[in-house]
Amino acid sequence: MKPARIAAVVAKETKEIARDPVTVAVALLMPLVMLFLFGYAISLDVENVAMGVLDQDRSPASRRLVDRFVGSGYFRLAADYATTHEVEDGLQRSAVELVLVVPPGFQRTIAQGGTAPVQVLVDGTYSATANLVAAYAQAIVSDFAGDSAPRVRVETRVWYNPSLRSVTYVVPGLFGVILMAFPPLLTALAIAREKETGSIQQIFASPLTPAEFLAGKLVPYGLIAFAQIAMVIAVGFLWFGVPLRGNLLLLAAAGLVYVFCTVGIGLLVSTITSSQLVAMLLALIVTLMPSFLFSGFLFPIFTMPYLLQLYTRVFPTRYFVDLSRGIVLKGAALPELWPSVALLLAYTVVVFALAAWRFRKKVA
Amino acid sequence: MAGGDEYVIQAEAAGRRFGDSWAVREVDLRVGPGEIVGFVGPDGAGKTTLLQMLAAILDPSAGRCRVLGFDTVRQASKITARIGYMPQGFTLYERLTVVENLAFAARVRAVPASQFPERRRRLLEMAGLLPFLDRAEGALSGGMRKKLALCTNLVHEPPLLLLDEPGLGVDPLSRRELWRMLEDFRRSGATIVFATSYMDEAERCDRLAFLDRGRIVAQGTPGELCARAEGAIFRLQPAMPAGVEDALTDAPEVLGVQWRPTEVRVAVDPRAGLSQSLRRRLERLGPVEASPPSMEDVFVVLRQADDVEAPTLVSEPAGSSRLAPRHRPAVGIETRSLTRRFGGFLAVDDVSLRVNAGEIFALLGANGAGKTTLIRLLCGLLPASSGSARVADVEVGPGAGRLRRRIGYMSQRFSLYPDLTVGENLDFFASAYELPRREARDAIAWAVATTGLAGTERRIVARLSGAQRQRLALACSLLHRPAVLFLDEPTSGVDPLARFRFWRLVGRLSASGTTVVVTTHYLEEAAYCHRLGLMHEGRLIAAGDLPSLRAALPGRPPATVEELFLAYIERARTGVGAAAGGQR
Repeated sequence: MKPARIAAVVAKETKEIARDPVTVAVALLMPLVMLFLFGYAISLDVENVAMGVLDQDRSPASRRLVDRFVGSGYFRLAADYATTHEVEDGLQRSAVELVLVVPPGFQRTIAQGGTAPVQVLVDGTYSATANLVAAYAQAIVSDFAGDSAPRVRVETRVWYNPSLRSVTYVVPGLFGVILMAFPPLLTALAIAREKETGSIQQIFASPLTPAEFLAGKLVPYGLIAFAQIAMVIAVGFLWFGVPLRGNLLLLAAAGLVYVFCTVGIGLLVSTITSSQLVAMLLALIVTLMPSFLFSGFLFPIFTMPYLLQLYTRVFPTRYFVDLSRGIVLKGAALPELWPSVALLLAYTVVVFALAAWRFRKKVA
Repeated sequence: MAGGDEYVIQAEAAGRRFGDSWAVREVDLRVGPGEIVGFVGPDGAGKTTLLQMLAAILDPSAGRCRVLGFDTVRQASKITARIGYMPQGFTLYERLTVVENLAFAARVRAVPASQFPERRRRLLEMAGLLPFLDRAEGALSGGMRKKLALCTNLVHEPPLLLLDEPGLGVDPLSRRELWRMLEDFRRSGATIVFATSYMDEAERCDRLAFLDRGRIVAQGTPGELCARAEGAIFRLQPAMPAGVEDALTDAPEVLGVQWRPTEVRVAVDPRAGLSQSLRRRLERLGPVEASPPSMEDVFVVLRQADDVEAPTLVSEPAGSSRLAPRHRPAVGIETRSLTRRFGGFLAVDDVSLRVNAGEIFALLGANGAGKTTLIRLLCGLLPASSGSARVADVEVGPGAGRLRRRIGYMSQRFSLYPDLTVGENLDFFASAYELPRREARDAIAWAVATTGLAGTERRIVARLSGAQRQRLALACSLLHRPAVLFLDEPTSGVDPLARFRFWRLVGRLSASGTTVVVTTHYLEEAAYCHRLGLMHEGRLIAAGDLPSLRAALPGRPPATVEELFLAYIERARTGVGAAAGGQR
């Protein structure tokens, strides 16, 4: 590896990128777009759920129960039904996600100290929120019942994300997904483009070694990726108000290791493919998809079948999501985190070596 | 050179296989220091593959190659570190400037910083690129891009330079400068090996290797190769060209026929010679004389001498009336002060021209002279900035659907669908021209027969040779029997034999009343055309037939079309006289 030749490739590549402002703009904007979209869209919080009421009792007690629902802040009264037909219709049309049915004689039964049945119908087509909605409804009803006869109270404390805001936990995970999605895409296109235009042939017929050529490509794209990290982290903390409990420098350093790893994956992809289109599709398949499914970003790894859990270890996103959440939410430091950092470093080296080995200076 | 080899290149039984087919096989080649060797041969003969093997960027599947004393497989890096290799097409970085491209090549090749400024100045001066130092490579003309590519391969002063079709798609002026640079470089004692489809380039070689279907079928000096076609070439000037075709039927010794407006050249098998019966038949049409073979004649003879299959001349389908256009216009094309601006740049500048119905009109000019833009204006693909044009009796302008049905357009890049079969492409274009089903079927059958594509209907276009794709593109543009046919660089990169066939077909279309407007870089092809228009920097600087263009120049008339072309450009540059040929 001759540093002068690597420097020549770095300089050439940097100029090419700099003269393509559209690509640079897209490279810097896309991660932000994704961060905003997902930061706002992926919310597991139950808020403002449309609810319908079929109140067959029409009594002060039944109205108090409905007020409890609305007053909780999680539900809003969207429809007042008179018949069970209307209830069915409302759920069918998705006008409401939950219907509270209060049977006749509700107030009288309570007044007599008996157990009054109340029905809660939940639209279960989206099971994740349905569970939560049902649980919230259950809690409100129990609370309502408990008023009359106080019993044992359980005090639950949630650590690390006491308000249970999903943004707090989605955004640090998103760092990992975004940095896996965009830097490799850009890099994979970089070599495939040279193959398409034929300029790669001039590289083949030159003294440049594969490692020198790839290293020269790695540096400028690594820097762009680092700009992406900085932006995404800044927006995550300043805009979404995610609390930072750990060390910002540690997070940035881990991010740097991680992007060199993801850029390396892009290089590896582009050594295999011959056209930009294939490079792009392959990059999306090997990076974006697994980083969504198998990083623990949305779907917790410990609930997966054992074989899939092993599979998740193949993807570096998993380690970075652990690192990111550890630093941001738990305030963890290097003593707890070094195994993940070491794995990321090892991964980067292996990916780069694999790319250099795969990159043959031959046209076929 | 390592190991004290006496040859710069030594290939022994070298071959390369792609899948089941051998692109190059059993090639034995020796090139000594300072030699200049050319590879010629038809499309797909294996020229590029062989060059890539010699550049050590493609491993041989059989045999071995030694280049500069190194094995191309085991010591590939030693070879690539030393040689210069210029691939086909444009392979520099278009977003980098002239200087940056050259500097990148120099840094990668470890040219000492102390020597770089001097070499840069010398190379760019020779290439005429000094005024464009900071222009992006992609914004240069094709000729300049090729010259810059050559500079980047000369900057480290390689002992061996490999060039793949250096002149392809380059205008004659730039091609001349390219060769001047190569001649100059050669004086340093370097070895040059290149592939070409220009026969004038082939004549510059010390030695030629003629490739066909992956094998070297003949090697020698241009003179030695010409000797192999000695006595095989006859020229005649028939009064009635149609009679020649009849005379040539049932003549197995005939290998090829070149149709020129002034003469017909017949190539026969040199082993058989011209038979008495054929000579008698031809002499009835006019005097027949033996002609010294040109490099193009050699190409025809060598190609065919090795050909196992019968030469597939374009077949003669019954009912040639189909060749006639559906609509016979009074005037083919007429433009008045046609102008097209791109920003501040005048791509087509005040062009007034008239092309008669049934005429073959050639537009000649350097890269960027405005030929393609002019054709696109005439086809209504691009609106004019000012001026007017009538094509096939239809005013070109917005909403000229009628125009589309009267013209055919074959673009530079052959707009075919590479993943469809020949038949599917034809079906698509027939439906695009809204031909009724029955008529489409007849038109396709006719077009396939006329262009000699019979039997290829089920083949995928991507697997056809360049020449076959060229004829398919022509077939597609002929389906609706257009009155005016536009052909933009139809023969670029196609071997001479295929070009002859192509031109013969164009000649027959014209004879049946189709007006043809064609652009070409092969200036010798001007001889196939009735009239020429010379374009320079967007202007039509001259138009007329060859004799009148020659006569309009003062002094000794230029011998070749190339010299004529250059004389007119020179005149336009110095501003002496505005136009010639009586058109403007």
